[in-house]
Amino acid sequence: MLSRGEIADRLSSYPAFEDTMLGLQYAPRMPKAMVKETREVVAIARKFNEEVARPSALVLDRRTHEDPDYLPWELVEEANRRGFYTMWIPKLFGGKGFNLPSMSSFSEEVGSVCLGIMNVIGVHYLGVAGLMTSYNTPLIRRVLSEVVQGEKTGKPCLIALAITEPGAGTDVEEMELLEKGKVTCHARRVKGGYIVNGRKIFISMGHVSTWTALYGYSDLKNPSETTVGMMVKLGMKGFSLGTHENKMGQRVCPASELIFEDCFVPDDQVIADAQSVRKCSKKPLKEINMRYMDYTMSATRAGVGAFGTGAARGAFEKALAFANETELHGKPLINHEWVQCMLAEMYKNVMLGRLAYMEANCANGLRGAYKLLQLKPMYYYQKYMPQAYFDRVVSPLLEKESSTWLMRKMAYDWHDLADDRCASGWASLAKFTGTDFGIRNCQMAIELMGQAGLRQDRGVEKILRDAKLVQIYEGTNQLNRLNLFKCLIAPAHPKAKIFAE
Amino acid sequence: MLSSFNTDLKPFEELAGSFAAKELVKKVEEHDRHPFGPFFSDVLDKAYEVGFLGVMLPEELGGIGQDIRALCIILDSICRADGSLGGIIFTSALAQEVMLAAGAHKEAGKIFSKAASAKEFLVAYPSFCNPGQLVKLPHATKSGRNYLLTGEIEYVVMGGIASRALIPARIDDQAGYSFLLADLSDKGLEKSEPVFSLGFHACPAVDVTFKGVKARLVGEEGRGSVYFDAASRKMHVAAAAMNAGIMKGSFNEALAYAKERFQGGREIINWSEVSMILANMLIKANVADLCVAQACQAVRQENGQWGRHCMAAALHVHELACDATSDGIQVLGGNGYMKDYGQEKRYRDARQVQALLGIAPLKKIALIREAAGLDDPCAPA
Ligand SMILES: Cc1cc2nc3c(=O)[nH]c(=O)nc-3n(C[C@H](O)[C@H](O)[C@H](O)COP(=O)(O)OP(=O)(O)OC[C@H]3O[C@@H](n4cnc5c(N)ncnc54)[C@H](O)[C@@H]3O)c2cc1C
Repeated sequence: MLSRGEIADRLSSYPAFEDTMLGLQYAPRMPKAMVKETREVVAIARKFNEEVARPSALVLDRRTHEDPDYLPWELVEEANRRGFYTMWIPKLFGGKGFNLPSMSSFSEEVGSVCLGIMNVIGVHYLGVAGLMTSYNTPLIRRVLSEVVQGEKTGKPCLIALAITEPGAGTDVEEMELLEKGKVTCHARRVKGGYIVNGRKIFISMGHVSTWTALYGYSDLKNPSETTVGMMVKLGMKGFSLGTHENKMGQRVCPASELIFEDCFVPDDQVIADAQSVRKCSKKPLKEINMRYMDYTMSATRAGVGAFGTGAARGAFEKALAFANETELHGKPLINHEWVQCMLAEMYKNVMLGRLAYMEANCANGLRGAYKLLQLKPMYYYQKYMPQAYFDRVVSPLLEKESSTWLMRKMAYDWHDLADDRCASGWASLAKFTGTDFGIRNCQMAIELMGQAGLRQDRGVEKILRDAKLVQIYEGTNQLNRLNLFKCLIAPAHPKAKIFAE
Repeated sequence: MLSSFNTDLKPFEELAGSFAAKELVKKVEEHDRHPFGPFFSDVLDKAYEVGFLGVMLPEELGGIGQDIRALCIILDSICRADGSLGGIIFTSALAQEVMLAAGAHKEAGKIFSKAASAKEFLVAYPSFCNPGQLVKLPHATKSGRNYLLTGEIEYVVMGGIASRALIPARIDDQAGYSFLLADLSDKGLEKSEPVFSLGFHACPAVDVTFKGVKARLVGEEGRGSVYFDAASRKMHVAAAAMNAGIMKGSFNEALAYAKERFQGGREIINWSEVSMILANMLIKANVADLCVAQACQAVRQENGQWGRHCMAAALHVHELACDATSDGIQVLGGNGYMKDYGQEKRYRDARQVQALLGIAPLKKIALIREAAGLDDPCAPA
């Protein structure tokens, strides 16, 4: 009916078809085995919920109130025993190589029972993502092999990510703001590495992670162009732990202050800095740093959307159980029409939260950070080649500087900015959609349950406390709305400027 | 707001404000550690000393004989700093109001005017329920001039601290419920540890089990819902005042933070999205103030539908408060989530206040049935 040219023309006008209906476009390209794999992941999460999360969520929450310094070592060991810390590490680096979107399904499942416990598992992958998207293959290999080793020996090796500083939270997630922000974590170039001074705050799992992906700046007046990513190890000279934050919820997952005093980080622990990035791309450093941030956050923000959806689902399940077991005027509460409508609304919120993060994951697979990993040939190659092959044949190649060069070239120079924006915008959409639904459902459940909802032993009030955090971390929901605007609305509207009011 | 309409109330506002500044503000986090830290008995004793536990109780019965406006002003000022003490003041007033609605002035006089301490003055009460709705009530059987209570009741506020409790119970096969006064030190009575709750940590509740506990009837048998209705109509306004105060506390802290905190090279209040959040909080806080002031007027004038207006005002204010306190955390970002600041507690307390006097959606159903001239399904058959 229309010529190809006409179709292309119409579809590229705003809103571009390519930026919407990601699931539809991704469907034919999706490796079929991902479905089976995701089913398995959900079953693994449910087994963990039955055996560990459900019996311990409230007990641990109470324990952290009794002892605010409590650290979740037993839980970390249990997750390590179950292989959770390598499940989503690519086989290339010795992990189990489950497809990355399946982690969102896992997060929703476990998050529906306890967001704190889920974060004890999930935030490690924020660290992994921070490390991986630097494409510094020798360093990635070195650190991730310790994680894999930690699983084998029963001595967990986790990774945290440290960007936030006392004076810069929103600023460090957006280069336009960082440019004007006040950062204090200084990385001074010296022979053979950097010397770091400064503090990072609110670092999830800081107290229990062996490695931390740390971001400092070699010029505090020009941070957006002088970002230095480094891997620091607990116990390194000059690196110490400060406050263990006293939070409202997700208390089983500590948030830590990290203190750096003349901490020397050798070159082989530098993830990326201006010099090394310059070797691969001539693009402005600010743009490359934003790209880096986008790659990391596109994957992890979709995951936080799944956390929020988990909270929405947990609250829904509590409300549903309450409606089933409670009678009002001689009839089960669940048979009252207004209750049915309330539950339907809550159910809808869960489904829409899930659709949003699934769609964001499709954007990542189709056009974003893990596009390459989810190309059918690459996916099946990873899935079916034996681990020994990766260890013996592929891994040594990763030690070469050329593999870092190639990966970075692909990420910074050959990856279309429009693709990056699409993935980033959708990740933000999923993040604030799922997390807002989380709060919405908690509120509805608390209202429905009245006095019962107030008691910690009934579980729903904890979900309400836990859920508020996901509207804040990985960029506040305000920043994520602005990022959606920046990525999915502004590009088609030349007048639109961001952070320029 | 209330005190600007009623200058005679200014002293109560000042008293409560200075009490909060002196006794509460600096120790909110410490007090909030209960039940995992000590209970703030010293603060409770001082609140009793200044008369906060008997604001609406007539002077001849041991109170300070003020009306709902004074109670609201005090609750508003106290809750700006710490909702927990507000919860105690509210519970004390509610138990007294139920007793007065039941015409138990003599009994009240015996308790309140003879009390020598906060513990003796306080009457514990399950303030978070409407006993006619969804609650399993204990059973009472007549035994001579008294009654014997058996069974359980959940979430008796201040039950771990007060000497007595006012308990709704069903007498034998009667359809409705009745109120009975029980001595909390009775040997047949078991109290749980303080229930670990969402908010109001320093206003603890306990679950109570009665195994043949002697209790005295308050008012008449089976008329509990009549007394509860009469008392709760007024007390809805008091609950609204608590959330109005919590909202103000949240707004004040958010505003001050937004003027100090820099992101993107400017104070965050100068990002218009932050301004918008603050504006919405301010609107909600102002509307809440107006609702409380107007509802107090309605109570005083007792014009036609005052009870309904009070409940409507309270339901609305609670919804505003739940939203506003969530935004109150948001403005502070990660800091808002930490116990070093006041916002996370207000977020919890606002929802705790919303649950006072029963389940919110059921209050809405009761409201519309009353407006439509239909039976309240919770009323005695
Ligand atoms: C428990 C917890 C765990 C965390 N874990 C980690 C972690 O593991 N690693 C890590 O690096 N960080 C972590 N964070 C930090 C988190 O990502 C930041 O808290 C978040 O990005 C917000 O930053 P902030 O707290 O400094 O708030 P601010 O940036 O100070 O923001 C305050 C308010 O101002 C608004 N605002 C700021 N700038 C703008 C603007 N330009 N336009 C509009 N509104 C604006 C914000 O939306 C917010 O409402 C964690 C935080 C918490 C609370």
